[in-house]
Amino acid sequence: MELGWKKGAAAPQGQNPRQIPIKGPKPSKKKMKRKKKKRDTEELKKEVVMDDHKLTLEELSTKYSVNLTTGHSHQRAKEILIRDGPNTLTPPPTTPEWVKFCKQLFGGFSLLLWTGAILCFVAYGIQIYFNEEPAKDNLYLSIVLTVVVVITGCFSYYQEAKSSKIMESFKNMVPQQALVIREGEKMQINVQDVVLGDLVEIKGGDRIPADLRLISARGCKVDNSSLTGESEPQSRSTDFTHENPLETRNICFFSTNCVEGTARGIVIATGDSTVMGRIASLTSGLEVGQTPIAAEIEHFIRLITVVAVFLGVTFFVLSLLLGYGWLEAIIFLIGIIVANVPEGLLATVTVCLTLTAKRMAKKNCLVKNLEAVETLGSTSIICSDKTGTLTQNRMIVAHMWFDETVYEVDTSEEQTGKTFANNSDTWFILAQIAGLCNRADFKPNQETLPIAKRATTGDASESALLKFIEQSYSSVAEMRKKNPKVAEIPFNSTNKYQMSIHFREDGSQTHVLMMKGAPERILEFCSTFLLHGQEYSMDNELKEDFQNAYLELGGLGERVLGFCFLNLPSSFSKGFPFNTDEMNFPMDNLCFVGLISMIDPPRTTVPDAVNKCRSAGIKVIMVTGDHPITAEAIAKRVGIISENTETAEEVAARLRIPVSKVNPRDAKAIVVHGSQLKDLHSEQLDQILRNHTEIVFARTSPQQKLIIVEGCQRLGAIVAVTGDGVNDSPALKKADIGIAMGISGSDVSKQAADMILLDDNFASIVTGVEEGRLIFDNLKKSIMYTLTSNIPEITPFLVFIILGVPLPLGTITILCIDLGTDMVPAISLAYESAESDIMKRRPRNPKMDKLVNRRLISMAYGQIGMIQAVAGFFTYFVIMAENGFRPIDLLGIRLYWEDKFLNDLEDSYGQQWTYEQRKVVEFTCQTAFFVTIVLVQWADLIVSKTRRNSVFQQGMRNKILIFGILEETFLAAFLSYTPGMDVALRMYPLKISWWFCALPYSILIFVYDEIRKLLIRQRPGGWVERETYY
Amino acid sequence: MVVPKSEEEEEEKEKEEEEEEKKEEEEGQGQPTGNTWWQKLQIMSEYLWDPERRMFLARTGQSWSLILLIYFFFYASLAAVITLCMYTLFLTISPYIPTFTERVKPPGVMIRPFAHSLNFNFNVSEPDTWQHYVISLNGFLQGYNDSLQEEMNVDCPPGQYFIQDGDEDEDKKACQFKRSFLKNCSGLEDPTFGYSTGQPCILLKMNRIVGFRPELGDPVKVSCKVQRGDENDIRSIRYYPESASFDLRYYPYYGKLTHVNYTSPLVAMHFTDVVKNQAVPVQCQLKGKGIINDVINDRFVGRVIFTLNIET
Repeated sequence: MELGWKKGAAAPQGQNPRQIPIKGPKPSKKKMKRKKKKRDTEELKKEVVMDDHKLTLEELSTKYSVNLTTGHSHQRAKEILIRDGPNTLTPPPTTPEWVKFCKQLFGGFSLLLWTGAILCFVAYGIQIYFNEEPAKDNLYLSIVLTVVVVITGCFSYYQEAKSSKIMESFKNMVPQQALVIREGEKMQINVQDVVLGDLVEIKGGDRIPADLRLISARGCKVDNSSLTGESEPQSRSTDFTHENPLETRNICFFSTNCVEGTARGIVIATGDSTVMGRIASLTSGLEVGQTPIAAEIEHFIRLITVVAVFLGVTFFVLSLLLGYGWLEAIIFLIGIIVANVPEGLLATVTVCLTLTAKRMAKKNCLVKNLEAVETLGSTSIICSDKTGTLTQNRMIVAHMWFDETVYEVDTSEEQTGKTFANNSDTWFILAQIAGLCNRADFKPNQETLPIAKRATTGDASESALLKFIEQSYSSVAEMRKKNPKVAEIPFNSTNKYQMSIHFREDGSQTHVLMMKGAPERILEFCSTFLLHGQEYSMDNELKEDFQNAYLELGGLGERVLGFCFLNLPSSFSKGFPFNTDEMNFPMDNLCFVGLISMIDPPRTTVPDAVNKCRSAGIKVIMVTGDHPITAEAIAKRVGIISENTETAEEVAARLRIPVSKVNPRDAKAIVVHGSQLKDLHSEQLDQILRNHTEIVFARTSPQQKLIIVEGCQRLGAIVAVTGDGVNDSPALKKADIGIAMGISGSDVSKQAADMILLDDNFASIVTGVEEGRLIFDNLKKSIMYTLTSNIPEITPFLVFIILGVPLPLGTITILCIDLGTDMVPAISLAYESAESDIMKRRPRNPKMDKLVNRRLISMAYGQIGMIQAVAGFFTYFVIMAENGFRPIDLLGIRLYWEDKFLNDLEDSYGQQWTYEQRKVVEFTCQTAFFVTIVLVQWADLIVSKTRRNSVFQQGMRNKILIFGILEETFLAAFLSYTPGMDVALRMYPLKISWWFCALPYSILIFVYDEIRKLLIRQRPGGWVERETYY
Repeated sequence: MVVPKSEEEEEEKEKEEEEEEKKEEEEGQGQPTGNTWWQKLQIMSEYLWDPERRMFLARTGQSWSLILLIYFFFYASLAAVITLCMYTLFLTISPYIPTFTERVKPPGVMIRPFAHSLNFNFNVSEPDTWQHYVISLNGFLQGYNDSLQEEMNVDCPPGQYFIQDGDEDEDKKACQFKRSFLKNCSGLEDPTFGYSTGQPCILLKMNRIVGFRPELGDPVKVSCKVQRGDENDIRSIRYYPESASFDLRYYPYYGKLTHVNYTSPLVAMHFTDVVKNQAVPVQCQLKGKGIINDVINDRFVGRVIFTLNIET
């Protein structure tokens, strides 16, 4: 780590140019105007500022008017509690359930259907007002539309409620306790009762109850990973070591964990004003943008509305010109507009997204918000946290250096249990030191677990050593039994080493002194070194070797420890009272053994996943709170910085020129330090994001993570953010899709996220991207399929108005198609497999590549739909003609046909028909028109399966689709032939021959589209592709 | 929008789109308006007509003509296809005999005079209230004038079908149905068809169906009675022809293309004694084999229901 600082650009000293005094309890609960709130959020985005860490104890004592030994009086504590409120985070303003429900009911697509329903109702009202006995079609239609919206609303509400229930199960409900000193007494109180200025004692295993300024500490280490992203525990003391409150040693933060040691501190912030609280309120205060799919659906609705209104107005004018009355024309206008509403599409889209969400949940991606299902597919930048997402979030031994050689150790997650085989005596001694001079231990009752999975007590690096020795050498417990510890000096940050003295097992009745610690410190103690079990006196050659090895391992981002020992002379035989305070034993001229380096290794699947993301055109950016060296090393190991690219520093080193002279174009990769980032303008940040393909942000604060996400979004990218810590949550919320970790993730991050990786595995994101892209493609196909049948549904009404023929397709039959036969096939397209490798193409451009574009409308409405309409009319004319009404005689017959008192209407053969008789024929025609649409929709379904490939290439493996075809056919037959349908739905049995009228058109659709796709494939970029590839 | 439409239409659509966007702007999404509004308008106008690249609606003239041409060919071919299909359809359909007649059977019934209402409301002493019935009946019976019938149609033997074998396309002869058959309801003796005396005539005819034949020896009969209420509200009805039936010689009907002068047989109901000053619902039914007169959904199959309200 120390090495990191040598290389790390501009150490973050003298920070905080913009000092803003910390505010009291945030008045966020009060109602405020929007502007005020926005300014608040802006303020929260700035860095954490506090000065408590710089104050002396006396100053602290006066600032919080508290005695530093006895603490507050009970009375005073109560007063402060009343003044400041309980020490809890204000939960994010939860939307009431009914508001959530209403959002489902009135959002986006539903609005279109509601408009349709209301228009229908208005039309019915007009009809009722001017006509005693109006057709009830409009009433039915408005009721059906309402029912559809309500049912789909309930369905998606239920779906989201279900995933939020899973969320709730994550919440940790155990009330936390804190040990405070009041009136000189130690007492356990609930964490929410802790007040400003309280004296708090913490020990290993505790959760820190508030932001603390330490006044005394003994070997205290805290795990700040949820706040800063550093995997290693940080030692804490009373010293003021850094300007930045996040980095200084004498501050502990609310809701981080104390790993070991004890400490006493004074509470300097509680609840929402803690660092954690500020991040949480920043998170809940962020306004979240629209999901890409919601934007797509809005665009689609706009397109559909334009088409609907255009058609409606055109035919309104036309019908007026044709001599219809105003009222009739208005009814027509409403009818046409409503007919354009694809009633079933809302349900189809919801079901498709739900299916994908389920499929993703099976692959360990839990989606909280249905619309987020697709977002991953559109993602063009992934900002990934390092710790816990890319890495395993545990230290592991990675390399060793002894006998002047570097040895590599297997760091994969499922360590195959290979023991490290080496016969060198040096290795035996090194292993003994690592095992004995080590305070970590396995927790009991875990003998059955593999070593790597056992839980341990103690510091991460010591645990790593323990596990490594247990696995590669021999049982540490046994070793310790044979060589009992007689004295030790624990590690602390000033001496930077740990020493222990053990009784020797070999019966010599002597002791051995073992030491580990920061390598340069260890080397200072040594005068000899061990090579293949032989001691040699220290020389410059060894020192140089040591330097090189240390640099090499440090450069890998690893934490390096040095090991040495000393056989104490026989004068310190059994029973000698070792005293670590008086140091009554020699501690120099030790024998240097070797180095062991540890790392939080990347997850095994991550490099492959990063590679897949890259080939899918997704930029992976690492954003971490950890040190640049570690970050860069991990970035290189997982491929975020690929092998061939260099950072500016590396280019400079290679060309031996100063960094400032490096041509930025040569350095595709860049590692940006948080302190650099702070001084950048947003334009400069944009520049970095645009010009570098491989970017690592290190030492970033939560606010900076947010700024980075915003920068990416400014460039028009759709940003996914992964993270597990509280420090990630503002970015998670702001991102187009926030991905939290299910196992290691904090509650705050899970709440802010849209998606949760249940297995914490970055590779699951790749699955998510794949599913997201697939559903986008498949939704396109589904919408293409559904929209196509809109034309054969609308044209009958238009022809009815213009040519005055009996209505070829009625409202009920339209609903039977939209909500009946079309549903299953449309949904089945969600199961369609990808046409080509969707992970090999670039993410879609949200500005250009729309879900529904004019090419799709042109294909669906202008071409396939028209063929379908022609098929329908053909069937209609066949039935009319076979029953006695030739097409010519039908023109303009409307007024007579609809006259209820005209019961002897003549047909083309001179036969006379009663009103009901001819209505039966009309409804038979409508049934046949309906059946025809079902049959031509077969072809449309098969054609919609692919956008580029031929069906013969794609195959018919989609079983749901085949089921869909059968289902719609059976449903059509059922509706036509079931006795009683004539009364219930006015659908009549058809003659078998009428089913075949549609077949030529089905074949025509199929052939036409296959030829079109052939042309697209043969002439990429040609006219056909430009005009028809949707 | 690739769908070929005239340019005006496209423009209209654009206006609508614009309007929508305006609305959206008004709703406002917390963004600084004004600037973006102006930008959007500019983008929109550039979309409408881009002078630099000479593009209208994001298409150059060449692109427009190409797409319109392609669509023209597409629809032309589609028209060709449907024409071909319709042609084959007409090959399979005879112009003389309909392919299916089951939907038009059993025959419906209609009455004259017909004035878009089945309520006969009139005041005997006010000719204005019934004059239009008389005119309607007179007009209807013009085709039944004896002279015309004798000139055009043949007098065929009663009591048997008038079957004319021969090719489908041969012209068929029609049997005479003279106006004088209707006696008191013919309007010859009483030009007011009884309306002036409060004894209205109502003519009933059965709908024509190609090939329909009542059972031999059992012609279809007409009988009327009060539909609901006191049966004695109608004390007497006289039927003309007296048999109150449609003679078999008027069947079968061969279709209007060959059976040009076919005149539907009629039965006149002369309500000679009906309760006055009150609405009397009357139901006239056909009776005979192959006749159904109690279909619930269709009140004109085999029967007809109307009300008489004769005021004095």
